[in-house]
Amino acid sequence: MAILEEPIKETLELRNYINGEWVKSEGSIEEVINPATGKVLGEVPISTKNEINAAVEAAKAAFLDWRRTPPLARVRCLFRLKELMEENFEELSRIQTMEHGKTIDESRGETRRGIENVEVAAGIPSLMMGYNLEDIAAGIDEYLIRQPLGVFGIIGPFNFPFMVPLWFIPYALATGNCTVVKPSSEDPISQIKIAELAEEAGIPPGVYNVVNGGRTVVSGMLDHPDIAGICFVGSTPVGRDVIYRRCGETGKRVIAQCGAKNFLLVMPDADLEGTIATCMTSFFGNTGQRCLSGANLVIVGEGLNEREYNAFYKKVVEAFVDAASRIRVGYGLDEKVQMGPLRDRSKKERVIGFIETGIKEGATLRLDGREVKLVGDWPHTCFLGPTVFEDVTPDMTIAKEEIFGPVASILRAKSLDEAIEVIHNSPFGNAASIFTTNGKWAREFQYRVACGNIGINVGIVAPMAFFPFSGMKNSFFGTLHGQGQEVIRFFTESKVVIQRWF
Amino acid sequence: MEELNVTASAVISFAEKLEDTSSELYEELAERFAAHKETFLAFAKESRKNKVLVTRTYQETITDALEACFSFAGLNLNDYAVQKVSAEGMNCPDALQMAVELEEKASRFYSDVARRSHSLLATIPGAFRRVAEVRNKRKLELQSLLKQGH
Repeated sequence: MAILEEPIKETLELRNYINGEWVKSEGSIEEVINPATGKVLGEVPISTKNEINAAVEAAKAAFLDWRRTPPLARVRCLFRLKELMEENFEELSRIQTMEHGKTIDESRGETRRGIENVEVAAGIPSLMMGYNLEDIAAGIDEYLIRQPLGVFGIIGPFNFPFMVPLWFIPYALATGNCTVVKPSSEDPISQIKIAELAEEAGIPPGVYNVVNGGRTVVSGMLDHPDIAGICFVGSTPVGRDVIYRRCGETGKRVIAQCGAKNFLLVMPDADLEGTIATCMTSFFGNTGQRCLSGANLVIVGEGLNEREYNAFYKKVVEAFVDAASRIRVGYGLDEKVQMGPLRDRSKKERVIGFIETGIKEGATLRLDGREVKLVGDWPHTCFLGPTVFEDVTPDMTIAKEEIFGPVASILRAKSLDEAIEVIHNSPFGNAASIFTTNGKWAREFQYRVACGNIGINVGIVAPMAFFPFSGMKNSFFGTLHGQGQEVIRFFTESKVVIQRWF
Repeated sequence: MEELNVTASAVISFAEKLEDTSSELYEELAERFAAHKETFLAFAKESRKNKVLVTRTYQETITDALEACFSFAGLNLNDYAVQKVSAEGMNCPDALQMAVELEEKASRFYSDVARRSHSLLATIPGAFRRVAEVRNKRKLELQSLLKQGH
């Protein structure tokens, strides 16, 4: 089976998209590298403060007309954008594989999820409606309307270069706001492609802008008085200590979706075959670089005596390790491959650091991803295979800290209560899953566990576009979440009108 | 070479090639055996529709949260491989028999992938099941033509 054809054939010179123009940046340049092959895909500018300011000014100016454009006319641009995304579905997907490293199935999945947000946002004429009541007092009516705020900054992460900014952008635009997007400088090409399609879809100049770069662009957004709010997805230290804090200081609205350490519980009555397949996606999909990735597998002995529990534990562990050991690792454009590389070498080295710490702290290494054999002849620079530890205890570093790589830790818990306590001792609250056929256990889990996204026999608890992407504790900072009706509230202000006619 | 742990992408690519091969075969049979031209042309058209159904369902359903890389553990696509087939030099009964064998293999492929991915790939297994039924129905129709002595 050959590698699928690469859509990027020459090094791309990436530009900023400001006020409907493709502008060559005055900033320094960094390379965008395919982590599987090591080839340079593009050159991305690290833009200056002047450039982010120019983008915000353009967005602010465009807001005056865009805000007055009827919602139906605004969403017609989104309908066209959706059609263009469908027409270019395969190219958009392969670009993600090339610049991020994920498999082609994962990339296509990401493209689909991104398009879903455009589809949901196209329902704005209904979703943005307010409500009213006649005769709140005789002859006096009261009603609520939702109005856009102005300009929003969107800061995208590296792990979902296409999809994540689309958790916000379509809703912002559909509700009448304008956006300035900063893609990750590690894999910005997907966002550049979306901007090209947005231009073709007829989204007016200034309504949708892309400024490439790093901290200077982020700081520029945080400090600019004309940015009404920020949407950020990334690490907890940056999300909490930089983004959320500065937004609080400057009165900006904020959505900061941050780090995670997700627990997957396997109960004695779980469907093992389905559970293991699901766990493979959860722990090793996207090479573990996902805020919804499984990190800790907790094998729970609820209702079992010691002998029974040991037998159950062994059965699950052996099935898990066996399945993980068979995962094919390589270049994601090869359809045989089930897991791609990490995004870059520094991430690989960071994950190796955790593996070494796990060994040092006494966990048992059952599968060593450092000894990965690749499908195909690729440089090993960014590749790491699935790694599995057992005999992990909750106080170990690998059980507590976010690794963001293909490392699974297996823990024991005698009961559901004990497992839930372990989950609650984590500072994170992004996702947690239970695998069981027992409704009572499932309900108890759903009811008690303080995580924003709960899975019952689901390993990646990724909400559909018409639901919010929830999160709690150190996994989320803000009040309203991305996607769904919550993000519409985020991008609008409620104005109440009381009227009387003499 | 065995292929284990096949991805959804590989299965879909295989299905596309299978329907293309089938469509080409039936167009050839339609040209060579006028007595069953309408039947063969209908099968060719149906194969093109099968391809659209499977690929569209996959493209419209796939998400990163599905078990797309892990739904087909142990599947060996070589078990269903169909080399490019041609009825050149064959008489009608032999051509019909070849077509029956093609439909058997195709029906088995779609049934197997539907069963393996059931509850893991959302609506995609349903598309596989529909095409399995279509291919099985074709097999029965071809067998009936054979029995009638054509």
